[in-house]
Amino acid sequence: MTQEFSAVGLSSARRDSSEKAGGAAKFADDYSVPGMLYGAILGSPIASGRIKSIDLTEAKTVPGVVSILTADDLPDRRVGSFIKDEVTLARGYVRFVGEPVAAVAAETKEAADLAAQLIIVDFEDLPSVCSLDEALAEDAPLVHPGQDDYVRTSETPTNGNIFWSASILEGNPDAVWDSCDVIVEDTYETPGQYHAYMEPCSALAEPDLAGRITVRSTAQSIFYIQGRISDELDIPMSNIRCVAPKIGGGFGGKNGVSVQPIAVALARASGRPVKITLSRSQDMEMLRSRHPTRIRMRTGAKKDGTLVAREAELWFDAGAYTDESPAVLSFGMLCSRGPYNCPNISVKGHAVYTNKLKAGSFRGFGNPQATFASESQLDALAVKLNMDPIELRRKNAMKAGDHWLGGQTVDSCAMTQCLDALDERLKEEVSALPPAEEGWQRGVGVSGLSHISGLMGTSAFVNLRADGTVALQTGVVDIGQGSDTVLPQICAETLRLPLESIAYAAQDTDSSPYNWKTAASRITYTAGRAVMQATVEMRERILRDAADMLECSKDDLELDIGGTVRVVGADRKVSFREIAARAFNRVGGPIVGQHAFAFDGPRFDPKRAAMSNFAFDNLGVYVFGAVGVVVDVDTVTGKTIVQKVWSAHDIGRAINPQSVEGQVQGAVVQGVGYALLEELVWENGRLTNPSFMDYKIPDGMDAPSEITVMLIEEAPEATGPFGAKGIGEAPIVGVAPAIANAVFNATGARLTRIPMTSERVLNGILSL
Amino acid sequence: MGPGMTFSEPETLDEVCSLLSKDPEARCLAGGASLVAMMNAGLLAPTQLISLRKIPDLGAITSMPDGSVKIGAMARHNDVAAFSGFLGAQRIISAAACRIGHPAIRNMGTIGGSICHADPSADYPTAITAADAVVSILGSEGARQVAARDFFVDWLETTLEQGEIAVSVTIPPDPSNASVHYEKFTRADGDFATVSVAACLGMSDGVVQTFRVVVGGVAEKPVRSPEDEAVFIGRPLKDSDIVEFSAALEALCNPIDDMRGSADYRLKLMPRLISRALKRAQADQLVSDSGETA
Repeated sequence: MTQEFSAVGLSSARRDSSEKAGGAAKFADDYSVPGMLYGAILGSPIASGRIKSIDLTEAKTVPGVVSILTADDLPDRRVGSFIKDEVTLARGYVRFVGEPVAAVAAETKEAADLAAQLIIVDFEDLPSVCSLDEALAEDAPLVHPGQDDYVRTSETPTNGNIFWSASILEGNPDAVWDSCDVIVEDTYETPGQYHAYMEPCSALAEPDLAGRITVRSTAQSIFYIQGRISDELDIPMSNIRCVAPKIGGGFGGKNGVSVQPIAVALARASGRPVKITLSRSQDMEMLRSRHPTRIRMRTGAKKDGTLVAREAELWFDAGAYTDESPAVLSFGMLCSRGPYNCPNISVKGHAVYTNKLKAGSFRGFGNPQATFASESQLDALAVKLNMDPIELRRKNAMKAGDHWLGGQTVDSCAMTQCLDALDERLKEEVSALPPAEEGWQRGVGVSGLSHISGLMGTSAFVNLRADGTVALQTGVVDIGQGSDTVLPQICAETLRLPLESIAYAAQDTDSSPYNWKTAASRITYTAGRAVMQATVEMRERILRDAADMLECSKDDLELDIGGTVRVVGADRKVSFREIAARAFNRVGGPIVGQHAFAFDGPRFDPKRAAMSNFAFDNLGVYVFGAVGVVVDVDTVTGKTIVQKVWSAHDIGRAINPQSVEGQVQGAVVQGVGYALLEELVWENGRLTNPSFMDYKIPDGMDAPSEITVMLIEEAPEATGPFGAKGIGEAPIVGVAPAIANAVFNATGARLTRIPMTSERVLNGILSL
Repeated sequence: MGPGMTFSEPETLDEVCSLLSKDPEARCLAGGASLVAMMNAGLLAPTQLISLRKIPDLGAITSMPDGSVKIGAMARHNDVAAFSGFLGAQRIISAAACRIGHPAIRNMGTIGGSICHADPSADYPTAITAADAVVSILGSEGARQVAARDFFVDWLETTLEQGEIAVSVTIPPDPSNASVHYEKFTRADGDFATVSVAACLGMSDGVVQTFRVVVGGVAEKPVRSPEDEAVFIGRPLKDSDIVEFSAALEALCNPIDDMRGSADYRLKLMPRLISRALKRAQADQLVSDSGETA
């Protein structure tokens, strides 16, 4: 496009930046209302047990206590998106330490906390399984002995603690292993990771006298929360209003419900507003983590590096309840080939119950685990073939028109360009870095990466104001990723208005058009498409009215930047304000636009792939990328420091380049934590590190000193708004394998388990 | 804050000792870096907090006429780190102080608070032991002085009796003008040490004059062995001696498995970090030697 842009491609400041920097932004816990009670939750102290009795006598004596709830006070319902195995408060059994058992509402937080501690639960301890090995052992105790009675969306086979198994097959790997010149095989292990959003989960539920209830909570979707509260507590959605305050990060951890249904139940029981805010430790013990996984993988190639076959089996440790595990597992399986062509591939996957915190959605959604295995394996192949690791990836890289695993045709793809860009920067810049300190060894590692950006349903409304400015509404919650700025930029550009001319409404289930979730890197592409189409609809009406007013054909008109319609090549024009005034008062009525759709990309192709029990069949708009890292490894201690990262991304088009860079840098740092530091550790069923004292995430000094972001805009997505694709998750996907490959390059030790703590790296070096 | 907790701000040390002697669950509040964190984590619920904020001059750092440096209990880590009056082996104190936590913690935390908390993974216990420091204690029964290596008794436990408060730490002079190196291994920036080594090494004419090596994070208190240190005096520094020394220290270690590393890893790290600390200290000695020659 040679046309000058009014809003897209400009690094406009986040619209909420002053508010956030100045401390004025209000997050869920910042809200207090008259008469409000404080809620507290009693979590299970044991990993597995039967509840024999619950004694509330002492708890009720605490001054200020208003309501105490147990499962007996709630509708007897099991809920869940894939398997209905979850309850709001434990009913009969507890299945992990921290599982909510009872809830208290009291006049003060201290009273609520004290009363919760004074609830006496008599448990019968039952045997537990707290790792994949324990859960998969023969005669292992079952986390859900009654799982075959649960309502499921799909009749997938179960086996012991395995509650979901899926498979995909393309070609015939078994027939071609003998024709491979080199084969690598290994087993990879990845940890449970905590989302570590800045804002722990919080909800404020306010009942009104008409029987409705308003819920202000930290969540990645107002509509999902509304539906879930309705489902858990048997309240019609018309009586539940969910509104979005500012959200302090999500990373998938706020994709599902947290404390909202409990807050609503307490508010209804007490007839008063109730706020629950979890402490950091409760948030870590009660909610969800990234799936710990074990992945066995085998890959074969020809001498020239051409991939011939891959076989993989994935076990996802899902914790005590299904949550989104079937989808995370399915997506991890779909990413098990990565952005490369390989004609013969077989992937099997299993989701396994354990007596631990639920595992669920987390930036990358199964993809970082699969990519850790896949890209570690490509690196091992390159070593065996004595081939440059980027060259091996380039040789097998997907191109536009190739098929994703499962058979979808990929329309826009700049994988090769990303590898080329990375290659060039590494060649120029690695040797120019100052040398490693004495006693440290330097290594370089790379990884390819890919992800999606199209998924599920969304919608947008726009309407023209009397002065020619525009009001935009979507149901998209900005969890910190920047959609409050980027979606108005798309709207503005479609009308060639400056960003300042677009008012964007906060999200409210009473008035916002539906959006699924802020998840799956889908907002810029999927919601952006709805915004653009709604705005195009409005633009058509503006042009039609302008044509009437200027007495010409609509085809002769063009938009000038700033809200003016002009006759091409003439000095005749009319402003949006004049068009609006005529429409509002005389002809045609207010000018509005709307668009709603569900992601409509190509489906899996049964002629190419035999697939069973996948949790979805409707996702796409793949994004591609390549990441390179330089690490220094201390041979005395094993400590690994990531000095520099280069991350190249096939973004289609960056609507707000600075915002995209921020997403990439944030994801890279979260990836560094995943690779080197972060691991939730359970001992005897109890999480041993539920605080930032024990669970370390990288701070400013641990982060790489430089993260260079390369935005590759050479393959715009034809269906995307101004060619844009998603970026939220892709940049974390390749970080851990790139670092593992760099550690190998530095030391010769191939680590197949993350996090690569200093202890593991040193042991790796010492066992060479 | 617990329901019955009281808070006071006495203006004299006598008042502090009197309050402490009456209530075994009372705690002194200095910078709060350790105490408040413990309270927030629910690990400690004192009945009384006695703020030391209003005690005059408790944070002073003073160079004494005999060359020793007296550090008041309320001296903040950043002030200790920036103090330029340390000479020779005394500098192990500032080398450790500047590695404590993050800048915000160093602005709040105090040397008295840190040593009385007696976390063996903290930086000061190891450093003051290596400095041969003496802790001055005041109690309702009078004053006493305790050598740093006798001050620490067990995990989070010191020699302080009920009614006593540590008022200052005195760092003796070092005529040998030793070099120092504080080697701290952490999982992540700002964390407590998995293992730390405080080394003071003085050499003259190619032979060792001063040799003190103390290891933190590997036992219930800082690990030091003066008898094994004595072997080095009057001899050139040899790698084989360092290996033997590390092996001797290992016998004194009692490491635990925790999130910062396994006991096995701690024992692996110890000789490696000792060796690195001594090499760095020795390199500094060579630099200062050649400086003198020139």
